[in-house]
Amino acid sequence: MRSLGLDVLFKGKNFLRLLGGLWVAVRISLISVVISIALGLVMGMLMTGKNRVLKAVFRVYLEIVRIMPQMVLLFVVYFGTTRVFGWDLSPEASAIAVFSFWGTAEMGDLVRGALIGIPRIQYESAEALGMTTAQVYLQVILPQAVRRLIPLSINLITRMIKTTSLVMMIGMVEVLKVAQQIIEANRKASPNAAFGLFAVVLLMYFAICWPISRLASYLEKRWA
Amino acid sequence: MKKAVIRRAAAAVMILALTLALSVAAYASDGEYRTLDEIKDSGVINIGVFSDKSPFGYVDENGDYQGYDVYFANRIGEDLGVEVNFVSTEAASRIEYLQTGKVDIILANFTVTEERAEEVDFALPYMNVSLGVVSPEDAVIESLDDVGEDDQVIVISGTTAETYLTKNEPDIKLQKYDAYAEAKTALENGNGVAWANDNTEVMAFAIENPGFVVGIPTLGSADTIAPAVTKGNDTLLDWLNEEIKSLGEEEFFHADYEATLLDTYGADYEETLVVEGGLVAGAGETADAPVETAKAGG
Amino acid sequence: MDFEAIRSYLPLYWDALGLTVRIGWQGVALALALGVLCAVTLHLRLPVLRRLVAGYIELFRNTPLLVQLFFLYFALPKIGLRMSPAVCGVLGLGLLCGAYMAETIRSGLESIPPIQTESAQSLGMTRMQVFCHVILPQAVSRSVPGLVANVIFLLKETSVFSTVSLMDLMFTAKDLIGMYAKTMECLTLLVVFYLIMLLPVSVLGSLLERRLRHAEFGP
Repeated sequence: MRSLGLDVLFKGKNFLRLLGGLWVAVRISLISVVISIALGLVMGMLMTGKNRVLKAVFRVYLEIVRIMPQMVLLFVVYFGTTRVFGWDLSPEASAIAVFSFWGTAEMGDLVRGALIGIPRIQYESAEALGMTTAQVYLQVILPQAVRRLIPLSINLITRMIKTTSLVMMIGMVEVLKVAQQIIEANRKASPNAAFGLFAVVLLMYFAICWPISRLASYLEKRWA
Repeated sequence: MKKAVIRRAAAAVMILALTLALSVAAYASDGEYRTLDEIKDSGVINIGVFSDKSPFGYVDENGDYQGYDVYFANRIGEDLGVEVNFVSTEAASRIEYLQTGKVDIILANFTVTEERAEEVDFALPYMNVSLGVVSPEDAVIESLDDVGEDDQVIVISGTTAETYLTKNEPDIKLQKYDAYAEAKTALENGNGVAWANDNTEVMAFAIENPGFVVGIPTLGSADTIAPAVTKGNDTLLDWLNEEIKSLGEEEFFHADYEATLLDTYGADYEETLVVEGGLVAGAGETADAPVETAKAGG
Repeated sequence: MDFEAIRSYLPLYWDALGLTVRIGWQGVALALALGVLCAVTLHLRLPVLRRLVAGYIELFRNTPLLVQLFFLYFALPKIGLRMSPAVCGVLGLGLLCGAYMAETIRSGLESIPPIQTESAQSLGMTRMQVFCHVILPQAVSRSVPGLVANVIFLLKETSVFSTVSLMDLMFTAKDLIGMYAKTMECLTLLVVFYLIMLLPVSVLGSLLERRLRHAEFGP
């Protein structure tokens, strides 16, 4: 076994490029997660409401997100909107749209689940105390629901970061793509670079996702 | 119970309807593109290239695009008097980029085939491709008949080798990979009996890896590689064809080969690989007949 | 739409569906078994084992399947461990999703208030009885939506199988687009076949969820 590719890692701007690629992945995921949490909370509350039409619409939406492969969504949003509406969305905007579309659905469903898990009697008692619906949600229900949501939503964030590699289909260069580029550019000089680079990429993902998971379990314990 | 099933069925119908609507709408509005003048006025040309297919299109350690295709792309920008904006493409999205006008030209090692010529317009070719098969020296595959019933031949998805074997040797089991690095490691690890790919690639592999020999140096019909533009973008297509012809006079693609491919393939393959002025050696086709070339490629 | 092309692609998609489902379900089975074992180990705070399990969960939940598969398939043969692509696929999926399953079941276990354990014990139940008859049934019913979501997630994760040369649905679609350039036809077929694969899971999941909620809260 010759070099494991660690020399390639520090050649030229390679390491910086990898970090840049990682930042692309993290940026897309974080923006999408923030949007997803905001929209997901609203969606979850609406889904536990009484409006049948709204519920049906959300059901279909959820089903679409569950079943559509993300690659198809990326193609549809990035290329499809140009074909149909003539919009020229940037790859990043398309990626964020797709990831938020996915995240909002999952978040909404989680919020719904968490809200349903809170016993009816709490809503009734709070209303009996003269609180408005908004007050009931903001001060009684949501704080409890959010606590149950934490581990699940963290799960979603880390999954999103790991799914961002798909954005290479629409021309965005994120960490895995950079790794592939480096491997290919140095295939002759250092044929085993793949191992070193994939190990580094693995560590990079871990270095990003693990602290997020730790934070989640810390919050979970603290708020319990 | 029933309700859940009905709801799911409704969702399924919705998804199907949505997909169909999108694809129909997409077909109705095919062929967005920028004409030659529009490109010149904007001062930028968008060219789709590979970013991980060394030595044809790749990114070096400083983050700059390099390779045989890229060398040509830079010359196009120079002669048009515009800047080149490189777009990193994947095999599966090359056509889509052209059809939505998100790039003006695809220069991503794009082999001319009949099927593709229905979707995009190919300019004159600038490179030859032929197939070859490499295998371990203790079990050399010298003809496709040597491939046993349960043996698998490694190919890379979207390459001419795959198309050729699928069409002409449907009984041979293929083991397909997405990337070069994966296919090569799989061959080293003994996951398949042989690797079929462009003959240039397999020869380079055999030179660099002792223990492997090229049992089949050429296979099937000769294909060509050409730039592609959006269907109907005649101003750009005509300009490209003229450009390729006039570049032939200064032996541009030989210079391109020497700058980008010499390291990998040595001087022996220069004449086999390079197509100058759009004229495929020996095929006897005139430079004005890209359609003929397209058929030969199928 | 080119229906002639669609007809000629169909057999390939059926093959891919077969492969995806076969490997997917073996992966799910492995993941569920691993998930329950790990969650129970964590919940009962078994010494030593608990740390091992925690390490496994952290590692697999925080790295992508693509990279995990790469190691199983390409790196291990270098030290003499060679597996077929299918075995790698099942193992990769199972290990990855096992970590998610464990988390989901564990958070279900922990959502049961401690007072229930205390009450049950004060009724004279043993620790084992409390766990099997009081905690576990409720925890499972609370975990079901999460578990179903995990199964669907797992089946969709097969989309990185191209790395180990398995012709799953996604790779088949990408492959055909690369060869014949019928993007819309291939993507439409991809959606249709994902639908065929995931819809039954989705329906089954919501039926199960309803039944279990019924069990928990009564009619």
